[in-house]
Amino acid sequence: MKSLAFAGALTCSLLAATTLTPVKAADMTQERALSVAKEPQNWLLHHGNYEGHRFSQLKEINTDTVKNLKAVFSVALGGFESGGRYKFGNLEGTPLVENGMMYVTDGWGSVYAIDVSSGKKGLIKWKFDPGVDRPWAGDVACCGVNNRGVALWKDKVISIALDGRMFSLDKATGEMVWERKIADPAIAETITMAPLVVRDVAIIGVAGGEFGVRGWIDATDLNTGKQVWRTYTIPGAGEPGNETWKDGKERWKHGGGSVWETATYDAESDTFYQGIGNAGPDWDPEYRPGDNKWAASVLALSPNDGKIKWGYQYTPNDPYDFDEISEHPLITASVNGQDRKLVVHAARNGFFYALDRTNGSFVAGKQYVDELNWTTGLDPKTGRPLNYNPSSDVQVYSPGSHSSRAKPLSEKLCPSHFGGKNWQPTAYNPELKLLYIPSVEGCNQVETVEQKDLEDQGGPIKFRERFAGGGQKTTQALYGSLKAVDPTTGETKVRLKLDYPNWSGALATAGNLVFIGHADGALTAHDAKTLKEVWSFNVGTGINAPPISYSVNGKQYIAVLAGSRQSPFVQGLAPELKNTSTASMLYVFGL
Amino acid sequence: MQPGMLAIATIAIFCAASAGAAHAQTMSAEEARTIEFGKGIFKEKANCQYCHKWDASGDTGYGGIALSLRKTALTREQLTDVVKCGRPLTGMPYHDRLSYTDKRCYGATREELGKDAPPMGEFLSAREIDAVVKYLFAKVIGHGPSTYEDCVDFWGSSTRQCEPMKK
Repeated sequence: MKSLAFAGALTCSLLAATTLTPVKAADMTQERALSVAKEPQNWLLHHGNYEGHRFSQLKEINTDTVKNLKAVFSVALGGFESGGRYKFGNLEGTPLVENGMMYVTDGWGSVYAIDVSSGKKGLIKWKFDPGVDRPWAGDVACCGVNNRGVALWKDKVISIALDGRMFSLDKATGEMVWERKIADPAIAETITMAPLVVRDVAIIGVAGGEFGVRGWIDATDLNTGKQVWRTYTIPGAGEPGNETWKDGKERWKHGGGSVWETATYDAESDTFYQGIGNAGPDWDPEYRPGDNKWAASVLALSPNDGKIKWGYQYTPNDPYDFDEISEHPLITASVNGQDRKLVVHAARNGFFYALDRTNGSFVAGKQYVDELNWTTGLDPKTGRPLNYNPSSDVQVYSPGSHSSRAKPLSEKLCPSHFGGKNWQPTAYNPELKLLYIPSVEGCNQVETVEQKDLEDQGGPIKFRERFAGGGQKTTQALYGSLKAVDPTTGETKVRLKLDYPNWSGALATAGNLVFIGHADGALTAHDAKTLKEVWSFNVGTGINAPPISYSVNGKQYIAVLAGSRQSPFVQGLAPELKNTSTASMLYVFGL
Repeated sequence: MQPGMLAIATIAIFCAASAGAAHAQTMSAEEARTIEFGKGIFKEKANCQYCHKWDASGDTGYGGIALSLRKTALTREQLTDVVKCGRPLTGMPYHDRLSYTDKRCYGATREELGKDAPPMGEFLSAREIDAVVKYLFAKVIGHGPSTYEDCVDFWGSSTRQCEPMKK
């Protein structure tokens, strides 16, 4: 008996020591990830599905019943702490829900497993605090202390923290199984995005485009916690695209191209589509003559080895900070009578793009923001900005829309450098074939300061110092829009003006509703066909996170994180929001 | 800058530095508390460091182009006015809630300045403005480039934040 027990223990320990984590019945598997439509009660993936639709098939809450929607419970979270440049941690996360358990994060990367199965309250079952060195990480976070959520894999929760670590947590207990240091704040690298899990790898990217990083996308083997591959978004010497850095001083080494929102994934071709951020320095394009690939682009990559299949650049030699990290939904639709496999993008530069996802060719593009002045339009064949000059190394787009060393302050840039649309995700209703774009409308100015080199290239700029080549100036209040767009053409079918720029993102449901959060604390529901507001509840503090929907015991809920710090560029120009307090709350609504 | 202004600025920096040095020797407990209180305003409440950087040496980026306060030639009175009123035509916000409701700032109202009016910052009381100005004169203005010791003084010793400055 003793020897039998010993043999059993040995077998168990050997099993634990192998590199494969056994799969249990309720585990999150690749099969489930590919068939989330079979589990409409759950919200298993960051964007709802791999295709990035943020669409719930649930329809108990619909245009008829939404009038009865009410708050059913809320849960106070943490993560308020200051750190580095920031007074508060933010809430920008998308909750995941699996069989009555919800997994959310706060800005400092604490993970909360919340039992929402009763429908009456949310009970925090466990909390994992990664213990971030807050000044160290917060001082090199570009734009806030952010964490956009977790991923589920087998019986683990996969999370990240701003200071560059990834964690594998036991889903039942929150106990950490392994951690891996991926990004290094010593060279201004941080992580803010929810991982994309494909099979047994977790794919994330690095933030730090305003601090002189060279962007990358990185895959971790979830069985071992070790790196599988890393692909730089700014090609190195000898790699295709490196020739678009024409400075002759190897400035591609600090060329930006950061990655901070979760990619979409096409299982049929085994390809993921990753939006890539601005070139660095942001506002001194004379520092980096050339098109600066693959900044301000989308890349199609293989999750097996990180190899780039194709790339498409939206704004070559971008002088605006038109960072295109946001989601790239996958839609298969008829275009001019032909079935096309599209990857689409509501770009920060104010245009909607539809590309052929098999090869990156341009299919359609159209302005979706109210006002756009940086170019006169897009080339109908290539999608390039019409005033792009292929023989010029430093692009001069529409006069006055950007600054330069000779004229350090631009006159007027529309959309503002915030976008268009920033990271806040769109939602797609496949039944109505409409893409909902929550946008930022209005104009501002950008300024150029001649960028000095970083210390490793002989300059005076130390690692972790700003590397932005200027700044921005916003003196007039921005506003927002919700737009319903035909994703095959970019044509805006319906538009709704919003009082504030939208910083939350959207959720579409089969109940023919679209939900968005607002800077003044309102969560609103809109008729998916008319965009008319049909329901509203004000949580009393700003909402900067996307809503989701799930159900328990057949009852549908809407959930959203609320309370995030509002941008000073919103609050400072909207006196009525001046005294809004920061909070850190989960709100859940039901009929 | 014109030569005359440079001379004034140099004198101002010299005086400020001397005053700071003299203060350090004779600072009362009350003064030390005020400076620490002012640091809290700079660091968190008014979040001046977001644009000006923790050591107030100026910065670029999303906060706009913020000047170095370590090199400023402003007097206490001028600095107090800039904190209260902000700077029109720039991103420097105002912190006195009554600014531009009448002509107390630069003789102009918000209506008169229109889009040139500075943005609204965190509102500070007279005591808080006095403390942040005292903090800046005691620890920043005229003190030359920041040191490892300055960094630890600002952030404490429980973070790696100051490691890169260690010699």
